[in-house]
Amino acid sequence: MSRGSSQRFDDDVVMGKAYDGRLLRRMAPFVAPYGRRLGLAIALLIGAALSEIIPPLLVQRAIDGPIQSGELNGLWGIFALYAGALLTTFTLRYSHSYLINSIGQSVMMDLRIYLFRHIQQLSLSFHDRNPVGRLLTRITNDVDALNEFLTSGMLLILADLVTLIGIILVMFLLNWRLALISLAIMPILALIVTIYQRVMRATYRLIRQRLAMINAYLNEQISGVLVTQLFGREAPSQDYFANMSADYLQANMRSVLYFAIFMPTVQLMAAIATAALLWGGGVGVLGGWASLGMLIAFVQYTQRAFEPIRNLAERYTILQAAMASAERIVGVIDTQAEIRDPDEPVTLPTPVRGTIELRDVVFGYDPHEPVLKGITLTIPAGQAVAIVGATGAGKSSLVGLLARFYDPQEGVITLDGIDIRHLRQRDLRRHIASVPQDPICFSGTIATNIRLHSTEIGDAQMRKAAETVNAATFIERLPGGYGYEVRERGANLSLGQRQLLAFARALAFNPEVLLILDEATSSVDTATEALIQEALARMLRGRTSIVIAHRLSTIRHVDRIVVLDKGRVVEDGSHDELLARQGFYSRLYRLQFAAQQVEG
Amino acid sequence: MANLRHLLPYMARYRLSLLIGLCCAIIGATVSTLSPYVLRLAVDELSTGTILLSSLTRYGGLLLIIALADGLFKFFQRMLIIGTSYAVENDLRRALFARYMQLDQSFFSQNHTGDLMARATNDLSAIRQLLGPGINGSATALFTFSAAALLMLFVNVPLALIVLLLMPLTTLIFILVGNRMRRTFTKVQDQFGTLSTRVQENFSGIRTIKAYAQEEAELAVFAADNAHYRTLSMRYMVLSGALWPLMTLGLGIVAALVLLVGGRLVVAGQLTIGQLAQFNAYLVMLSFPMIMLGWVVSLVQQAAASMDRLLEVLTRKPAITNPEVAIPLPHPRGEITLEGVGVRYTSERSDDRLSPRPAWMLHDISFHVPAGSSLALVGATGAGKTTLVNLLARVRDPDAGRVLIDGIDVRQLDLANLRRAISYVPQETFLFSRSLRENVAFGVDQADHAAIAHATTVSCLANDLDQFPDGIEAMVGERGLTLSGGQKQRVAIARAVLRNPAILVLDDALSSVDTHTSAQILTQLHELLRGRTSIIIAQRAATVRDADQIIVLHDGQIAEHGTHNELLQLGGHYTAMCRRELLEAELTD
Ligand SMILES: Nc1ncnc2c1ncn2[C@@H]1O[C@H](COP(=O)(O)OP(=O)(O)OP(=O)(O)O)[C@@H](O)[C@H]1O
Ligand SMILES: Nc1ncnc2c1ncn2[C@@H]1O[C@H](COP(=O)(O)OP(=O)(O)OP(=O)(O)O)[C@@H](O)[C@H]1O
Ligand SMILES: [Mg+2]
Repeated sequence: MSRGSSQRFDDDVVMGKAYDGRLLRRMAPFVAPYGRRLGLAIALLIGAALSEIIPPLLVQRAIDGPIQSGELNGLWGIFALYAGALLTTFTLRYSHSYLINSIGQSVMMDLRIYLFRHIQQLSLSFHDRNPVGRLLTRITNDVDALNEFLTSGMLLILADLVTLIGIILVMFLLNWRLALISLAIMPILALIVTIYQRVMRATYRLIRQRLAMINAYLNEQISGVLVTQLFGREAPSQDYFANMSADYLQANMRSVLYFAIFMPTVQLMAAIATAALLWGGGVGVLGGWASLGMLIAFVQYTQRAFEPIRNLAERYTILQAAMASAERIVGVIDTQAEIRDPDEPVTLPTPVRGTIELRDVVFGYDPHEPVLKGITLTIPAGQAVAIVGATGAGKSSLVGLLARFYDPQEGVITLDGIDIRHLRQRDLRRHIASVPQDPICFSGTIATNIRLHSTEIGDAQMRKAAETVNAATFIERLPGGYGYEVRERGANLSLGQRQLLAFARALAFNPEVLLILDEATSSVDTATEALIQEALARMLRGRTSIVIAHRLSTIRHVDRIVVLDKGRVVEDGSHDELLARQGFYSRLYRLQFAAQQVEG
Repeated sequence: MANLRHLLPYMARYRLSLLIGLCCAIIGATVSTLSPYVLRLAVDELSTGTILLSSLTRYGGLLLIIALADGLFKFFQRMLIIGTSYAVENDLRRALFARYMQLDQSFFSQNHTGDLMARATNDLSAIRQLLGPGINGSATALFTFSAAALLMLFVNVPLALIVLLLMPLTTLIFILVGNRMRRTFTKVQDQFGTLSTRVQENFSGIRTIKAYAQEEAELAVFAADNAHYRTLSMRYMVLSGALWPLMTLGLGIVAALVLLVGGRLVVAGQLTIGQLAQFNAYLVMLSFPMIMLGWVVSLVQQAAASMDRLLEVLTRKPAITNPEVAIPLPHPRGEITLEGVGVRYTSERSDDRLSPRPAWMLHDISFHVPAGSSLALVGATGAGKTTLVNLLARVRDPDAGRVLIDGIDVRQLDLANLRRAISYVPQETFLFSRSLRENVAFGVDQADHAAIAHATTVSCLANDLDQFPDGIEAMVGERGLTLSGGQKQRVAIARAVLRNPAILVLDDALSSVDTHTSAQILTQLHELLRGRTSIIIAQRAATVRDADQIIVLHDGQIAEHGTHNELLQLGGHYTAMCRRELLEAELTD
């Protein structure tokens, strides 16, 4: 097994800069509606940071004042101030925290909904390229990272800064010589933090990258576990996973090592500062330019001043993660849907009749590898057309173009004479229902699987659709009937049953003109299929329909057959015409029926 | 919480590291409590004005030495304890994965993929948090607290009591608030799970959503989920937002009290200023450990909850296991016998427990397929054909009766051997997002070029390869997304053929392949199948008519059984099926 897939996750592991104004400006509109509350939150935070500086000052006052002079009454005043400062801090911090988190939650919700809407309207070509897991990460983890940036990254750095500056100011006001002594070590500390942060950055990237690989692998292995079991590949899978896990472990161990070195080093710096303070302060006390209380207060201040700097490493990581997430989110937001509604949509003339025309349509998923190589086809309103052809000929691709899942690179497709690119997608798709080749089932009840979350489809209509495709027979036998819980991907239904559900769904949405069946009953037994066809024949009278099927019995009722081969229309005509032609279709036909006819 | 003892065997492997790590913690903590003592000596000498410059230098030096020693022990402590936690996490992750690989389908159909993923990521990480930072932090906290407590008591009992009694109160706050928080948090997380599932299912089914222009309806559901998530989160924030400020407040009050009471003691001459400074230093030193202890309590609870979820997997007995005395099957002949086989799906929903046992899905199925012959299975949608063939390779076991291969009950056979003997082309193709070649060669250890070429020829996949720029090295999209329906199926056929099995099962394997290609595949398979047993499920008479025997499943039982000609004589379901296809032929002629 190759690890070639690793570069596919690079997107998930880029570690951006710690600060990128461009990205922040892009995210700003999401925060803007809460600007005033954010301002208040910042004010509260600054207040809290300032009120936290007070206590050591009070300690100094107490020691140099009442305690050394023996005036006990003064102590009460200081105690009251102390308690006041504590309560203020508490109130400010708590209200800040509540406020900022409520902003964060609101921003996250807005952003998630925005992203969901955006990704949902992106074209299928985008979804083909991006695994679901990756898109999920955008909406969950990446948004979370931004929230963390908002609620604890950015603001706390600000608070740290305020604290640091406040402490330095107070220290200088109290005693500039002591202040210089205790701050002398700061540049070295800053240097250590910078180095640590550099080293960790690479390690974090490695960790994230390896975790992403583990997750992707895990996801696929869980989804495909049955295949692995049936083919007896558990052991290789386990080995592969063990290797990945070991790589991840190794990356983590590296980060443990760095951290284990970093923390004691910072501690040592603090000790050096304290020792220097003790020494310098001692000299000061002896020399009369410092007091004992100051010395004790300075010891506390120094320790407090260390905290913001030590935190910086952690905050920096949050910042970086947030920037990387922002980058990815902006990347998604900037992805324009290739299929877009026109600025001035045209409305279809009513009543919609359902004439479809394709003119010189060329299309490829990769523009350099055309799948459809010049298709011209006119389907008059009300005609039932079958498309047959070898597998991979481009049948599904062709009908995908009609619903405008993709746009052709060349040529035009019209519905009732109007280029479908001039229509709103909603309007177009309201007239089309297609039953796809792979039936999709969602977890939820049978009923929601048929009508999705549409509120327009009532129970009666839903049941009617299920009855038409003969799905009702099996549904009613399930425990719970229409309330039967379908599992993820329809795991507790047979494939034929899933196809019937997908079929029922198409009918429930009651397309007004065009019904597309892409091998809609390929896994359904022929008896059920025959019943469906009778029902359909009644229903479809007057509507245009396109049927793709390999079983020719499925297309017995069509007016016309189009044979597609390697992306081109090679035969086109009624059943009899094509038989007479002795071409592809007649060969196909004979293959399927010759055998039985001999015995019949 | 008792379930955490299941971690012991995993930790036992690293007991030496843990033990040394704990020793380092003890020494480190004790050493670190000495520095406030040094501070006190210095301050006391300063306050009495008797100090000499040289002794100041000495105290400074002492502080440095203490810090160095402390740092050294902390380094080893962290490396050993946190390192072990990652190692245990690694072991657990592998154990979990191994279990996933063994578990049966009923397990997987009960759990969302996302949920199973979360167990291997979030839950594991919660446990690691406990084993790493949890143990590391609480060791430091406990030992520092004990050492500092001793030294404080030594200095001044009343003041020490204030500190020692009040400080743990802050830990208590944490535990109390934390408890409430966790309950809310579980709800928040569940809702987050709902949110993720919604996103995942929506994007997996985007084609359908778009086809029916249901974007707005989906968005509305998602928005409602989001609003609920926000409400829950805010409820959580009311508590969690209070936590840290509350702790700071508690610790601050202790400090203020120490200042007040200590100050009076100093004035009364019962305490020196140096000792007051020492107390102050301890307060700073202990505040983090106190918070840590509270945090550990919540870590324990989280880890216990996560462990529950892990144990659900780790202790879940796979329904399908290798028997204790496994009979090997090195050279399978491919003879298949079913004796009175019955299957019923039990409903896993709890509210259905009262309802009577579900009816038999398959009932009293018996047949015999001699080695080297072929069997065709037909029957209505949902008749149980897939369920039936799944019994052969023990995707599940029958609820009644026996399945025998080469005359031996499959439940007695070595599982790996059994599965090696059978190749499936499942009804629904699952492909891995790797290259086509890797997908085709998936079932074998090594595949040479010729073998792969042969397999792709038999499955007619070779015809399509020139359509892909990279040929057989072309990458397959998630679940085979970038292939046409027929291409996917033919990859699966090639994959099965390459294994060269004694028994080949084709479950509706040509449903998406056009008649022309499928005829070609069938002819080539015919060659290949000579001397092998095969089971073919199909809806087309043309595909099944040549089989040595044909079975029609109806209402969970064998309704008809015989050769094509025999069944035609019967004039039952099978005849009707053939007639439906014939009818078409006659009608159009
Ligand atoms: N995991 C499951 N849990 C509960 N019921 C199940 C499960 N899997 C299948 N069933 C039910 O068992 C029945 C038989 O399913 P099976 O897949 O064997 O049918 P099938 O004959 O292969 O049908 P098809 O022709 O549609 O593939 C169906 O009614 C289905 O709903
Ligand atoms: N999403 C996609 N991205 C890239 N290539 C694709 C995608 N879907 C299909 N193709 C390629 O386009 C070609 C035509 O596929 P299409 O699904 O239209 O065939 P089809 O005629 O429907 O075949 P089948 O009968 O097997 O379903 C195939 O070679 C296929 O590999
Ligand atoms: Mg197709």
